[in-house]
Amino acid sequence: MIYAGIDAGSRAIKVALIDGADSGILARGQADQGVEQDRLACELFATVLAEGGVTTSDVGRVVATGYGRNAVHIADTTITEITCHAVGVRHLVPDAGTVIDIGGQDSKLIRLDKNGKVRDFAMNDRCAAGTGRFLEVVAGRLGVSLGDLGAMAARSRDPAAISSMCVVFAETEIIGLLSCGRSREDIVAGVQTSIASRVVAMAGRNVEPPVLFTGGVARVSGMENALQRALGQPVTVAPEPQMTGALGAALLARRHCENTNA
Amino acid sequence: MIAPPRQIALEEWDREYERLRRAGMLQPIYGGPLGRHVEDGDTRLLKLRYDNSPAALRLWNFLLTEEDRLRAAREGGKKLVGAMKDLGTVPVMAYSLDNLVAFYPDGAWWIPCVMELNAGLLQIADSLGIDESFCPVRAMLGAFVTGAHFPVPDLLTCSVGATCDDFSAIAQRLNGLGHPILWWEIPHRRSPEGDEQAVTLPGGFSASPSQVEFVRSELERIRIALENLAGESLNEPALARGIEKANRVRRLLERLRRLAFTAPVCPMPALEMLVAEMLAIHFCSDQDETIAVLEDLLAEVSRRVEAGVGHLSSQAARIFWVNPVADLQVMNLLEDCGGRICGTEYLFAHALDPIPATVPPMEALARTALADPMVGSALDRAARIVRDIRRFGAEAVLVSRISGASHCALEGEIIADVVREDCDIPVLEIEVPSITDATSATLSTRLQALVETVKDRRDT
Repeated sequence: MIYAGIDAGSRAIKVALIDGADSGILARGQADQGVEQDRLACELFATVLAEGGVTTSDVGRVVATGYGRNAVHIADTTITEITCHAVGVRHLVPDAGTVIDIGGQDSKLIRLDKNGKVRDFAMNDRCAAGTGRFLEVVAGRLGVSLGDLGAMAARSRDPAAISSMCVVFAETEIIGLLSCGRSREDIVAGVQTSIASRVVAMAGRNVEPPVLFTGGVARVSGMENALQRALGQPVTVAPEPQMTGALGAALLARRHCENTNA
Repeated sequence: MIAPPRQIALEEWDREYERLRRAGMLQPIYGGPLGRHVEDGDTRLLKLRYDNSPAALRLWNFLLTEEDRLRAAREGGKKLVGAMKDLGTVPVMAYSLDNLVAFYPDGAWWIPCVMELNAGLLQIADSLGIDESFCPVRAMLGAFVTGAHFPVPDLLTCSVGATCDDFSAIAQRLNGLGHPILWWEIPHRRSPEGDEQAVTLPGGFSASPSQVEFVRSELERIRIALENLAGESLNEPALARGIEKANRVRRLLERLRRLAFTAPVCPMPALEMLVAEMLAIHFCSDQDETIAVLEDLLAEVSRRVEAGVGHLSSQAARIFWVNPVADLQVMNLLEDCGGRICGTEYLFAHALDPIPATVPPMEALARTALADPMVGSALDRAARIVRDIRRFGAEAVLVSRISGASHCALEGEIIADVVREDCDIPVLEIEVPSITDATSATLSTRLQALVETVKDRRDT
């Protein structure tokens, strides 16, 4: 039996299919999020099914997660992204102690217990200054692509201090820094540090290692190092960092199906 | 026939009201359909869901007619006392005198929610320099300016010192607008040092004799002011009777909370329980009616607990809630997300503890004032929360931050650390503004995730 997870995030939709026999990923796919969330999720789901060589009748259960989860009508049930990321990461890295997930419009810190269950969590979705949106704004303002940010940050000799707590004001601050002659490299490095420090501020006093980094921002090079510096401990980018929510949803679909049939 | 417990919308309540009325339901003088309060501008009521019992209807009508009671009291020749930043001490003194009525102007912090920001109170506060950096209780300033929500009291008292810094600033601004305030100081509670004897306070705390004596002397100043206002003496027998009556309210609430929070099936929604608990602070301007309302509610809860019925599944996640919410709708939201309330600490736990009856009345009140969670350390507060988590069997803690409130700067982290260490249960901190419509989706995600976490841990 095949199980499906759909992560309807704020910036991207991700779909993962797993084989119930071994929990291995059978097929995966990703598409930009848009206004018609349900249609986009259905189209991506159909594409991934085709790539996996299966049909809807092979799928035992579909779980939707993410910010747009309630709009996905093909899902049998919905589960929050907190639970799904935890399950997905734990499946890939069984001894994970903490998950940091930075997506397009929110960031989360999830603490796991020794059994891999969520111990508790913190979430920021009211301030874009701790999310991937900040990186998009900066890339746009500096006229570079998101993919270039990591390399630029690595060339920085003196990261700029970004003091604003709000992306809108930070953008103004960046304009000011440019007019003062600060290099784009220093500004990018400063923004990465700023995002990392906001995420770490959510963590409080207890961050249990190993720390796994997920979400679209985990793919931006330089962010991993910025988080490591802010946390004061190693941070590892999870395998397939954007897919952990969808993978967790698929694993939970299997678990729910088994529990129902038990 | 008694209807099974359900949560119903306002419109349905009004139909149900007609049915109950025709069936001969007895009502207090302030009774009537809930929907009539919307005509006063309380539009948020249209978006809440209510318990369907006549006891809950009475509770809501009692709450929503307080302004009428205050104006009637003034017309009847009674003097009004506005007891600010005082969660349960000065009102006990005031209600010991026949011709005084005390109320809680700080309660205006719910007006922006209930009237969905339409009363303009926050804008008035903004214009007076008290902007959104301050706690939503700044709405009180606007209420004083418009005079539309409660009569301006004959005497205003306000405790300062170890209470909210932001409230002190707001009250000082009110003072500057020409409202005289009788300030009284409440020091930060500290444990006895060296060879000082420990004085036992309600809630299991302790303080030094010198602190208790200091607070007693501050309350003596209040007593004199109340006597002058009332034109009669507030002697010890009268005060003892007043304390006994307040304790009757507290005992009722203790029984109500214990029954509701420990029942296998939740017998009363979180929203009605919040309103009921708030009655402990100032009796909604009528102490006798408070007792009657709570007796009704307790009878309903007892009946439901005995029958094993409630409005939620027995599998609902048992959540301990810290701090009151500015938007009442969030209490509904918790239940929509699969949670129920099993324990609360709304920052006035001391107003739920019996006032000591074995010491002179003024000392008893001083001890009660010093047991205020806000005047002790967050560690003290956390210790009490841990005790109650165990008492009520809570499976998670939700700390509701109040934006701008000075006590919220650090307490959430301290409470979370202590709860994790002592109880090993999840703690979630959220922030609840006066109207959560724009953030309800993200609030839902947090609450659902907390419920999922609790249920997943049950399987361990």
